[in-house]
Amino acid sequence: MDKERIARELIGIVGSDGVATDPGELRVYETDGLTIFKAMPDIVVLPRSAEQVAGVVKVCHRERIPFVARGAGTGLSGGALPVDGGILIGLNRMNRVLDIDYENQRAVVEPGLVNVWLTNALAPRGYYYSPDPASQTACSIGGNVAENSGGPRTPKYGVTTNHVLGLEVVLPDGDIVNFGGRTLDPLGYDLTGIFVGSEGTFGIATKVIVRIMRTPEAVKTLMGVFETIEDASNTVSEIVGQGIVPAAIEMMDNNSIQAVEKGVAAGYPLDAVAVLLVEVDGPKEEVEALVGPIIEVCKANHVREVRVAKDENERLLLWKGRKAAFAAMGQISPEYYVQDSVIPRTKLPPVMKLIGELSQKYGLRVANVFHAGDGNLHPLILYNSANEGELRKAEEMGAEIVKACVEMGGSLTGEHGIGLEKRDFMPLMFNDDDLEAMRKIKKVFDPDGLLNPGKIFPAAMRGGEVGPAGQREALDKVLRRA
Amino acid sequence: MSDLVGADHIVAGPGAARYVVDSKLARAVVFPGSVEEVSTTMAFASAEGLKVVPRGSGTKMALGGIPDRVDLVVVLSRLNGVVDYEPADMTATFRAGSLLKEAQAVLGRNGQFIGLDPPYADLATLGGILATNSSGPRRLRYGASRDLVIAIRVVHADGKVTKGGAKVVKNVTGYDMNKLYIGSLGTLGIIVEATFRLHPMPAVERTCLASLDSVDAARDVVARILDSPLVPFAVELLNPEASRRVAEQAGLPWPKARCGLAVAIGSIRPEAVDAQLETVRRLCREAGAAEGHVLEGQVHDAFWRATRDFALGDGLQVVLKASVLLTKVADAVRVGEEVAAKQGLRLGVVSEAGSGIIRYHLTGEAASDERFRQGVAEAVNRLRAFAQEAEGNVVVLDAPPEVKSRVDVWGLAEKALPFMRRPKAEFDPQKILNPGRFVGGI
Repeated sequence: MDKERIARELIGIVGSDGVATDPGELRVYETDGLTIFKAMPDIVVLPRSAEQVAGVVKVCHRERIPFVARGAGTGLSGGALPVDGGILIGLNRMNRVLDIDYENQRAVVEPGLVNVWLTNALAPRGYYYSPDPASQTACSIGGNVAENSGGPRTPKYGVTTNHVLGLEVVLPDGDIVNFGGRTLDPLGYDLTGIFVGSEGTFGIATKVIVRIMRTPEAVKTLMGVFETIEDASNTVSEIVGQGIVPAAIEMMDNNSIQAVEKGVAAGYPLDAVAVLLVEVDGPKEEVEALVGPIIEVCKANHVREVRVAKDENERLLLWKGRKAAFAAMGQISPEYYVQDSVIPRTKLPPVMKLIGELSQKYGLRVANVFHAGDGNLHPLILYNSANEGELRKAEEMGAEIVKACVEMGGSLTGEHGIGLEKRDFMPLMFNDDDLEAMRKIKKVFDPDGLLNPGKIFPAAMRGGEVGPAGQREALDKVLRRA
Repeated sequence: MSDLVGADHIVAGPGAARYVVDSKLARAVVFPGSVEEVSTTMAFASAEGLKVVPRGSGTKMALGGIPDRVDLVVVLSRLNGVVDYEPADMTATFRAGSLLKEAQAVLGRNGQFIGLDPPYADLATLGGILATNSSGPRRLRYGASRDLVIAIRVVHADGKVTKGGAKVVKNVTGYDMNKLYIGSLGTLGIIVEATFRLHPMPAVERTCLASLDSVDAARDVVARILDSPLVPFAVELLNPEASRRVAEQAGLPWPKARCGLAVAIGSIRPEAVDAQLETVRRLCREAGAAEGHVLEGQVHDAFWRATRDFALGDGLQVVLKASVLLTKVADAVRVGEEVAAKQGLRLGVVSEAGSGIIRYHLTGEAASDERFRQGVAEAVNRLRAFAQEAEGNVVVLDAPPEVKSRVDVWGLAEKALPFMRRPKAEFDPQKILNPGRFVGGI
C-alpha cells in the first residue's frame, strides 16, 4: 500500500493526532497480552466516533488493506495482532459511558471503556456490571465483547454474552448496523449472540448495550486450605452438588500461593497444597444460610483450615491475591506461558495429576490458578527464555495440556480465545464440516476476509487467511507437534 | 424416501393431514430415527429441491409466516432420549425430539433441571423450544435458551452434520454457533442434539400473589422489587381475565376485576425464602395492593403451571408476544386492554414483568370470524406501534392462516432485512428449510 497517501487520507478522517506511522509509536502495538508473538501494523488509527471508525474502515475496504481492532491490548491469544500488517484501529479514545438506565437495567457504553469503570460509575446507585475478568482494571468492554470474556463470577452470573443485549457495529465494508437493543428477544437471527466472541473478525463494535444488575445485598468469601488437590476438587463438586450456586469458586496451588504471598501478601498459608476461595452472594438471609453448609462440605473433605472473611477489607485482600496471581508470577519466574483449557469439573483431579507429571517431564514448574467452579484451568508454565529452548518446551507442554483437556471432553479455551495462538488446535475439537459452518458465518460478516486475518481458522484451511510466512512457519512448527 | 427412513416411518396422503402447516398439506411426512436419517433425508430433499418443514410435537407450528410450499414435514419425535448426562458436571445432552418434560424427569432424579419453563412445557420438544426461542416465567433467574445451551448439533440443508460449542459450561473455542441456530426457526439447519448447562432445583419455592386494582398500581411495586436486593426467579403481572383463570386452575379465589402480581422466590433454605417474601409483601402493602397470600406446595406449582400454559379456552384464538422495556410493561398491558375493548375482543395478558416479555391471548367468542380477524389485525398494529416506541417488538405466536395472511407475523423493520438475509443465503442457498416462515419471508 501507498502508506503516505493512505495516512494522509486517514488524517483527514480522524485528525493528525489520531494517526501514527512512526515505528517508535507503532512498537506499542506490535504485541498484546501474549508477548511471545509480535507483528507490526503499518499504520495505527485512533478514532473518536463510530463515524470515524466507519470512515477508516471504508478506506481499508476500498484499498483492500487488512485491518484489526484493538482495545486495551490485554488479550492472551494474540487476537489483536496485525499478522498481515495493515491498519490497526485502536479504540481507547472511545471510552465513554453513553447512558445508564437503572430502571430498565441497561447501560450503553463505548468499546474502549475500561471494564471496571462501568461498575465504578454504577456503584453509587447500588448497581454493577457482572463480567469481571482478572484484567478488569485495564481491559476494555469492546475487547470483552470480542473475546466473550469471563472472570471469577461466571458460575452464577455467566460470561459476557449473557450480559450483552445489543451492539452498534461497523461492518468490514464500512456500513454501520445495529444488532439487538435494550429489550430481549430481538427479531430475526441472534446477531448480537454470534458477534460476541467472534474475536474481532466480524466487525468493530462501536456501541455496546449491556445488562446491569443490582449489587447483592450481602457477600461472604470463604478461604479453605487443603492438603491435597483432590480434597479441594471434591469440595468444589460437593458444594455444587448440595444445590449451592456460589458466585465464584477459585483454586490456587502451592506455586501460585508462593508467588502471590511474595507479591501482595494476601494471607494464604505458604505451606498449603491448595487454597480454595468460595464466594456466595445474594440477599442477607440467603447468604447467611449458605455459609454453614459450605463449611460442612469443606470439613467433610479434610480441610485444614477454613476462614470466613470477617470484614470487607479481609475479603478484598483474599481476592487481591487471586486477581494479582498472574502479575505476581514475576516473583518466582521471569516469564510464564498460560493456557486456558476447560474440562468437565469431574475431571479436575486427573487433569491436575497429569499437569504435575508433565511438569516433571519437561522440567518446568507450573503454577495453577483457576476457575474451579466451571473447570476453566489456567496452568501458568514458568520458563526463562534466556535458557536455550525453554520457551519452546513451555509451548510444547502447553500443547500437551490442551490436547489432554480436549480428550477428556473439554475445550481449548474458556475465556482467552483462539486468536493466533490456538488456531491450529481447532481440528482437535472441530472437523472440516464444523469449521466450514464457522467459515460461512465469517463470510456473512466479512466476505473479503479483510478484518483480523489469520485468526481462529487453522492456517492450512481454505479461507483461513494467514499471516506473514516466516512467523507462520515458526508457529506451525511448534503446534504441529500437538 | 421409504428407503431412507423405512416405510413404517413415512406418511403420505390423508394420513399427513394432521401435519398440515397453515393448512398446507405436505407431500410426505417423515419420521427419521437417527441423526444419520435426518442427514440422508436432508441430502435427498436438497438434491430434489424439496421444501422441508422441521417439526417436534407441533405445539408451535402456528408460529411464523405462511410457508411458500411444503413438500416434506420432518418430525423429530423418534429422535429422543439422553445422549450423555454427568450429574456432577451439571451438563446433559439430549436428542432434539426429547420432550422437555421427559428431560426434566431424568434430571430431577438428581435434583437438577434445565432452567426453561416455556408454554406447553409438558408437550414441547427441546428442539422446538430452541428453534423458536420459547421461554417462560423462570427466565428472570435462569435466562433463555441462548443462556442455557452450551453445545449443539445441527443437520444442514445439504445433509451435512456439524456441531458448535462444547460440553463444558465455559467455552470460547470458535464462533458461538449455538446462538445462530437458537431462535432461527429451523431456517439455517435442523437442531438434532443440544447440550444444556443445568441448575440445581431449589429445595423450597414459594410465591407471593397479590391483587391490585389496576395495572398502573403494579408499575410502582414491580419497579421497587426490581430495584431491591431481592432475587425472585419470576415476577409475573396478569390482567384481571388472566388472573381469574389462573387462580381458578390453582384452586384459589380471586377478587373480581383485579390484576395479579406474582413474585416467586426459591432457595435451598426456607428461612431465606420467607425473609424475601416478607419484603415482597411489605412492598406490595406500601403500594396499596391487597396483602398478598403466600403460595406453596401443590398450589404454588399449579399456579405456575397455569400461568406458563395460559390459554383462553376453545374457539378462535390468537396469541401475541411483545418484548418491551421493563418500564413499559404496565403500559403494554394497559394498551392491550384498551385495544381489545375497542375491538370487542376478550383478552388475557400474562407478562413477565422482570423480563419485559408479554403474552396477549385474544379471543372473539361473540364476534364473527371476519370481525375477529379485523380486530386482531388492528390490535397487532396498535401494539406494534406501542412496542416500537418501547424499543421492542410484537410477534404473532399463534394464529390461524386467515389472520396471518392479513398481518406480518414478525414485523421486522425493512432496514434490518438485507443483513438478516445473509446467513440464510450462506447456510441454505436453495431456500429449502422452512421457506417463507421466518422474518421478512426468509
